[in-house]
Amino acid sequence: MKKHTALAILFAFMCLISFQGFAYGAPKTNGGTIVVGSKNYTEQMIVGNIVAELLEAHTNLKVERKLHLGGTNVCFEALKKGSVNNGIDIYVEYTGTGLVNILQMEAKTDPQEVYETVKKEFKDRWNLIWLEPWGFNNTYTLAVKEEFAKEYNIETFSDLAKLADKIVFGCTMEFAERPDGYPGFQKAYGFSFKEVKAMDPGLMYSAIDNDLVQVISSFATDGLLVAYNLKILRDDKNFFPPYHAAPLVNGEVLEKHPEIAEILNKLANSITDEDVQKLNYKVDGEGKDPAKVAREFLKERGLIR
Amino acid sequence: MNVLSEYISFMLERQDQILSLTSQHIYLTFIAVFLAILFAVPLGIAITRFEKVAGIVVGIANAVQALPSLALLGFLIPIMGIGSKPSIVMIFLYSLLPIIKNTYTGLANVDSAILEAGKGMGMTNWQLMRMVQLPLALPVIMAGVRISAVTAVGLTTIAALIGAGGLGQLIYRGISMVNNKMIIAGAVPAMVLTLIVDYLLNILEKVVTPKGIKRK
Repeated sequence: MKKHTALAILFAFMCLISFQGFAYGAPKTNGGTIVVGSKNYTEQMIVGNIVAELLEAHTNLKVERKLHLGGTNVCFEALKKGSVNNGIDIYVEYTGTGLVNILQMEAKTDPQEVYETVKKEFKDRWNLIWLEPWGFNNTYTLAVKEEFAKEYNIETFSDLAKLADKIVFGCTMEFAERPDGYPGFQKAYGFSFKEVKAMDPGLMYSAIDNDLVQVISSFATDGLLVAYNLKILRDDKNFFPPYHAAPLVNGEVLEKHPEIAEILNKLANSITDEDVQKLNYKVDGEGKDPAKVAREFLKERGLIR
Repeated sequence: MNVLSEYISFMLERQDQILSLTSQHIYLTFIAVFLAILFAVPLGIAITRFEKVAGIVVGIANAVQALPSLALLGFLIPIMGIGSKPSIVMIFLYSLLPIIKNTYTGLANVDSAILEAGKGMGMTNWQLMRMVQLPLALPVIMAGVRISAVTAVGLTTIAALIGAGGLGQLIYRGISMVNNKMIIAGAVPAMVLTLIVDYLLNILEKVVTPKGIKRK
């Protein structure tokens, strides 16, 4: 019978660990904690850290970072839940993504109009609040190698369209699906690439560097554009809507802690595309830690000590 | 040589982070697989008694297995939010099939002559299950647990995408920052962990094999 006793003890012990594990997954959040999220790429890690650092420096709130979540959908769904229900309270979203991806509305080109639309719709539908945009416009764009652009004399999307049937296009899975991504853009320019390969954002750059694809979808603020010596093409038909970045906050949380808006609006209209490109490069090109890059940036601006 | 030492110094630099992510990884995997055993073994036993539902149960487990993991997470987030809870549920669901299937197959394949002998000795159904069928099927059940556990270690990397941490955090961040050192710093410990889990469960599998059917 000794064997059975030993087994029973082992079993009880394992149960204990398991239930503890579930307690560890339970929400620790009360009035005093804010959970900051971000999507899974460098720029989002940096802006997520900027939000977290600012809140840590200027409030008494406990800030928890849930960065690098798997994409727009994960962040948005988690934001709707709020940290009270195991979600997040705030992340930085782009106006164009809000309009076309989340609201599924027709793309517009006027930045102010796009911002006003998402602000109103998000508040009415889900009680999510858009704070002031920070200034930079992380629009989608296409990029090719510098040498490639020179060889075929390509400056704009329309130039590329002429060559499209000979080249392979690499893009993120999100871009391949979104209505303001490949499907719509293909229609607007009449593109038909030889092949479209959807992949992880980080892998796109290795792919173009190794000539596995000739053109990639990228963000205008990507630091890797500099690192890999790529050229951004001009969107000569203004297909892509504006993607101005702004913090998006759960309405209930903002009601409880209205100071969040005041603090994050300190950055309103103060960051340019080039600023973000440089920040992104520090992580992607120089291998620095996104948290450190965010802290340095805020110190430079005199927003934290 | 230079490259290798660079990798090693990167890992040493991040030692604390790697260790804490590894323990998170073990934690998530362990809880999920343990709960899966608690649930799937009795279920596997039950369906040998109710042959009609066996097909349905295995079919459902098969369907869960066929669902892409990220899609499953997409369904779980609106219900459970993000973090460790939905991750554990995901790993739990994926761990069910091998255990249910092996429990069922292991029990069903016990030699009917042995069962007859047991019945002849006047054993009740419960005694037959506890003293004959289960011990004989145990190695097969353990093989199922082993498959589940090894798969779960790999699967747990995805938990990083919904903020549950684990070694996937280094792997996915490394990919998005095009930082190979970071990818390796996550992938190598995950690989080592898989090998250790496989090794330990292999030993356990041998230990639970009844003397009578051990291969000499």
